[in-house]
Amino acid sequence: METFIQVGVITAVLIGTFFSFVGVLGYFRLPDVYTKLHASGKVGVFGVVLLLVATIITSLNNFSAGRGLILILLLLITGPVTSHAISSAAYRLGIRMAKSVRDDLAEKTR
Amino acid sequence: MNEWIGLFALTLLMVTVALSFWRLRLGPSLPDRVVALDLLTTVGIAVTAVYAMIMNQPLIMDVATVLALISFLGTIAFAYYVDLMK
Repeated sequence: METFIQVGVITAVLIGTFFSFVGVLGYFRLPDVYTKLHASGKVGVFGVVLLLVATIITSLNNFSAGRGLILILLLLITGPVTSHAISSAAYRLGIRMAKSVRDDLAEKTR
Repeated sequence: MNEWIGLFALTLLMVTVALSFWRLRLGPSLPDRVVALDLLTTVGIAVTAVYAMIMNQPLIMDVATVLALISFLGTIAFAYYVDLMK
């Protein structure tokens, strides 16, 4: 049982760190606010949630896993809301996309 | 064993904090910088969670919850005031 807990913690921490690093790397390299939001959403959902899962697994025996579960629920609710709010605000500020194939919102808001 | 895997994760997370700060300095427009600040607080939540795992001290998770709430409110306030500005 102890070995299973260790393997689960190590797997969750490795995958979470990988997603955090790749997300920030994508944020660093991508050219545009909208594509940057696509990359930084990965950090908020996969990276942090898997690190919190590792924390929950290690704290299962002292009856305090509820904090981590509440935080995971909060992150899963607020992550898409903030991404949508920032992208909508950026569109209202008039920031262009880097390579735009089609833009349906431009005809709708005109 | 948890200490070593946690220190590995903390090292990579510090590299991501440095990259985010560099991009916060570079970022050409205002929403770029807001995304950078949001990303910094998200990585801060991750660092707090890993620290709570290393120290085996689950009370530190409250700090992460408060950080998540404040980051959410700040970003929504930014979007709201941009909406008022137009």
